[in-house]
Amino acid sequence: MQYILTNVATVTGESSGESYRVGRLLGGGGQGEVYIASGGGQELALKWYFPESATPAQRHALEKLVELPPPSPRFLWPSELATAGGVRSFGYLMPLRPERFKSLFDLMKRRIEPTFRTLLTAGLALADSYWQLHAKGLCYCDISFGNVFFDPANGDVLICDNDNVSIDRKSDGRVPGTPRFMAPEVVLGEPPSSDSDRFSLAVLLFYMLHVHHPLEGAKEHAIHCLDMPALRKLFGEEPIFIFDPENAANRPVAGDQDNAEIYWKIYPRSLRELFTRVFTRGLRDPRDGRVRETEWRDELVRVRDGIFYCANCRGENFYQPEALASLGPHGQLCWSCGKALRLPLRLRYEDNKVSNVVMLNHDTRLFAHHLVGGRQRFDFGAPLAEVTRHPADASRWGLKNLSTVPWYFTPRESDTTVEVLPGRAASLLDGARIAFGPVVGEVRA
Amino acid sequence: MVSRPGGEMASRPLHFIFLCDGSGSMSIGGKIEALNAAIREAIPKMQEVAKENVHAQIWVRAIKFADRAEWHIGAPVKVEDFSWTDLTADGLTALGSALELAAEQLRVAVMPERGLPPVLVLITDGEPTDDFRKGLRRLFAEPWGKRAVRVAIAIGEEARMSVLEDFIADPEIKPLLAKNADQLHGYIRWASTVVLRAASSPPSVPRKEASAGGPATHLPIVAPVTPAAPSAADEVW
Repeated sequence: MQYILTNVATVTGESSGESYRVGRLLGGGGQGEVYIASGGGQELALKWYFPESATPAQRHALEKLVELPPPSPRFLWPSELATAGGVRSFGYLMPLRPERFKSLFDLMKRRIEPTFRTLLTAGLALADSYWQLHAKGLCYCDISFGNVFFDPANGDVLICDNDNVSIDRKSDGRVPGTPRFMAPEVVLGEPPSSDSDRFSLAVLLFYMLHVHHPLEGAKEHAIHCLDMPALRKLFGEEPIFIFDPENAANRPVAGDQDNAEIYWKIYPRSLRELFTRVFTRGLRDPRDGRVRETEWRDELVRVRDGIFYCANCRGENFYQPEALASLGPHGQLCWSCGKALRLPLRLRYEDNKVSNVVMLNHDTRLFAHHLVGGRQRFDFGAPLAEVTRHPADASRWGLKNLSTVPWYFTPRESDTTVEVLPGRAASLLDGARIAFGPVVGEVRA
Repeated sequence: MVSRPGGEMASRPLHFIFLCDGSGSMSIGGKIEALNAAIREAIPKMQEVAKENVHAQIWVRAIKFADRAEWHIGAPVKVEDFSWTDLTADGLTALGSALELAAEQLRVAVMPERGLPPVLVLITDGEPTDDFRKGLRRLFAEPWGKRAVRVAIAIGEEARMSVLEDFIADPEIKPLLAKNADQLHGYIRWASTVVLRAASSPPSVPRKEASAGGPATHLPIVAPVTPAAPSAADEVW
């Protein structure tokens, strides 16, 4: 079997001078192949370019990238260039992706079944990661299924194939992107930028949450042979959002495009509004029409905090304040079993003058971005509070203090404030207030 | 916990057809054995491509052409279940008939209503002994045949490259010349992976290829890896 490095035993790290033994092939793509490489007491991934892709421009871009620190640990960033004696082309080394991270192909094919909560956590981590990349003046240029991985157990993400990262607005267009993910202006010939990254991110999030493409409706369905000119028309020349409120020409076709309709109805209106903005105005206005990463981050956290379980079937449902207002407390029906939903207790708190609501489910955990306030970084590895049952009375629920500082608990219409030391729990009583520090929450039934 | 609703992502069928030369000259110097081995080795790679391809359901079959053309594997087989039955070599090179046979199955009435461009991979060591032009006209008369991604691999210098160029009919894609078994393996693997991936979900491509000469009408396919220089033993066919 012929691989590019079939007859190559070792490669040399260009800056370290370290020799790496070339191990088994991990995978291949359009630009090259990825192998395991071991040396210097560690195992790494080695991407090796096909000769056609090993251009001076690619080498130059990599030389710049290896000098930069990764925007966050979620990026499997190139650590150094690699060459091999007597072999044309070159490659680069990067950290290996642990097995627990699965591809979005697996998600789309339903080979993995994460919860809504996990998917929203992964989406939030992606938005946060690309924001950190963009904040450093870089653009990714090729956000798509193939270069994002996530842990279906907890929503941790990893971003691979960072060799296409460019200085924003100075992309040389080495790789314009992947069809279906490319922004319309890029399909039509513009170089990629952080604006087009924001379009690709929105497509990725829509795919993750709907298992369907936001522009594939009746127009796609009417095409017999989906070849390159057809792709260009659908995603470049005449893109129409399948749920465009002012243009019904491209609605999903029942029977063949059901996923989009099924999911669209489940999510809260605020999330649907963001998708509507980016796929209507954002199709034509790359600079100002697209949803910013921080907006996605805030919205995905809000939607995640709004998850509660159907008492009948345990299905995950979403808090929809507008449904509560128009239909009453039991007006919202479970998408899975159709029974009327009953809202659980909720914690309402204000941060930065924004009102937030978190559903208090049996498994709810609260984190620094909830309780410390002031735009804390999202860290789902370190909960500061969790819903718990009273050890002697299973009918009583409380919020356990997992932080290192005391809280202050005040029952409704009471002047008595009780200290809740770390390790203790405050009873979840309607109207009770808990001061977590600068953030004060109120329990609502 | 109730699983999220809905099914897997909507996808389209993609028909992948090997057109294999089984003429007598293929029996000389181990060519047919090399072809059989190369396709066998390409199968797991095709299956990997399929696993990472959410836009396509890939179906594979094969035509053999010698004195006449016939379906070697007639009913389309899902790539996940595909296995190769060895070809034997004897007779002439009825390439024109092979194209007619393929065209017959690419008729609008036979093909699904919606699909991805089919992929036709032609592998031959000689020149047609029947009416190649007639077969080609028949293939190009079918909308699916015209839109198919066509690649061709010549085994050895005897193959008529101009015939293969006419079959491909895209100046951006050149026929490949396999001078030895290693190169044949490399090219068949390329056709079964890179080309398959490009047809079912076009990969990221360098800008100049994507937009050269205005709207891209052909699939941008990165040229295959040229295998390393062969040893003297590999040169013997």
